[in-house]
Amino acid sequence: MKTPNALSKIGAIARRVLRQIRGNRRFSVAMLVIPIAILFLLKVVFDALEVPSVAQRRFAVLGVAYLIHFVAFLLTALVVVGERVQGTLGRMFIAGYRRGEIVAGYLVSYTIFATVQGGIVLAVAYGLFDLGYDIAELAQIFLVVWLLAVFMMALGILVSSTARNEVQVIPFVPAILVPALFLSGMVVDVRRFPTWAQVLARFTPLYYAVEVFGGFFSVGSVFSDVGSFLLLPSLAVVVFGVAALTLREER
Amino acid sequence: MTSPAISVDSLVKRYPQVTALAGVSLEIPAGCIYGLVGPNGAGKSTFIKCLVGALRPTGGSVEVLGIDPVADRWRLRRRIGYMPQEIALYDDLTVRQNVRFFGSAHMGVGLDAAVDRVLAFVELTDRADAPVHTLSGGMRQRVSLAGALVHPLDVAILDEPTSGVDPELRRAFWDGFRTLRDGGATVIVSTHQMSEVVECDRVAIVNRGRLVVEETPEDLIARGARQVRIRRKDGTVEEVPVGDYRTELPGLLGIDVETIELVQEPLEDVVLRLIEGSR
Repeated sequence: MKTPNALSKIGAIARRVLRQIRGNRRFSVAMLVIPIAILFLLKVVFDALEVPSVAQRRFAVLGVAYLIHFVAFLLTALVVVGERVQGTLGRMFIAGYRRGEIVAGYLVSYTIFATVQGGIVLAVAYGLFDLGYDIAELAQIFLVVWLLAVFMMALGILVSSTARNEVQVIPFVPAILVPALFLSGMVVDVRRFPTWAQVLARFTPLYYAVEVFGGFFSVGSVFSDVGSFLLLPSLAVVVFGVAALTLREER
Repeated sequence: MTSPAISVDSLVKRYPQVTALAGVSLEIPAGCIYGLVGPNGAGKSTFIKCLVGALRPTGGSVEVLGIDPVADRWRLRRRIGYMPQEIALYDDLTVRQNVRFFGSAHMGVGLDAAVDRVLAFVELTDRADAPVHTLSGGMRQRVSLAGALVHPLDVAILDEPTSGVDPELRRAFWDGFRTLRDGGATVIVSTHQMSEVVECDRVAIVNRGRLVVEETPEDLIARGARQVRIRRKDGTVEEVPVGDYRTELPGLLGIDVETIELVQEPLEDVVLRLIEGSR
């Protein structure tokens, strides 16, 4: 009997995950509503502080990136650990799904989810903060946010390999996502930090997105420094590879 | 002589705190229903996980269909069906979607027909489109079994498949296992229900990570002590252990004997005694 090839198995996993997301309406609505609600609150705070609209637009773009990267990481890490706890991850392996196929299947499905989520959240931010960018500029912002989300999903899967249950994922949330707020360059230019903090900043994936957005805000293109732009997908691929290698079934 | 479907030699699985398997050796003939019997914590699931390559043995060797389950797991997994003890299913998906997903790892062409067939076997055709979280525990168990048997296989490895299943369906399951065996597959079933021992062609009793005994259910039954119960006309009852009652009986018979009954120790008592003896 001819067994299905890797692409077909990746497709089966991705379809299954997307069906689960669709079947769990409360979860998928929360994943959309919460980032939008946070953006709305951010707008209220900015208005109260009378932050100039140019600065508001900058923070809105970085805020969208931060929120999407937060959700992408948390979602994949928790879901993969949940599968391990329920035994479905182990069962998938024994059914004949290989670890590269499993990691790729998760990435494809959550990337589709992040695409929809990123698009909607960016559209809301556009209206809320009066971003005023044209389609080409919005597409560039979306591309960076999307690449960052994929990076974070790979990181979420990698972190899930080190946790035996959902509770063990919790310490990674402040460890990875909170330092990103102030080390990535979102709030303060990284070059003003002492050297050791500049080195530490490079361990926050958001740093690479903020670097790319730096070019966008100054010259209007995320491709102004191609090397800086390519770092984001390159690092995502590396983390994906490590995640695929470390996803283990046997003890 | 045909080679065994499974060969296990001195299998050891040790965890930091406990030794789950302490040197199990056995051979499982191809094309039989093989029962793994023992109390909870005996090492049955650990043994099964070593067979499917989900656990790396600490020592000893395992071969399933001549394949090392750890070193060559992907070649092996194309030929086996596995049902874990825990009900590892996707609650948000329907019965059909769950079964289809596990089948998708093995087959593309003919998958829909295979899903229909296996759902009919577990008697869940009418609930095929129900989300799994709406099902009872027994029904979920049936979905889990369907996920293990949906594709063509040479060895079915089923960890407590009849747990939580009502007696009528349990009988249907065993009929299905016999059909699988008659089709040439080897079926390995773990259970802690002693009454299911007689459904197997061969049985291994395990306890505390060790093999207590390995034989046919008939041999196991023959291990049971036999005694003759003599009820006399005066109301007294005498129970006399016998080996071969056919030769010993005449000597036991005296006047005033009204009835002679052959009392067979229940199989469950035999198994429990063997387990007790292994402690």
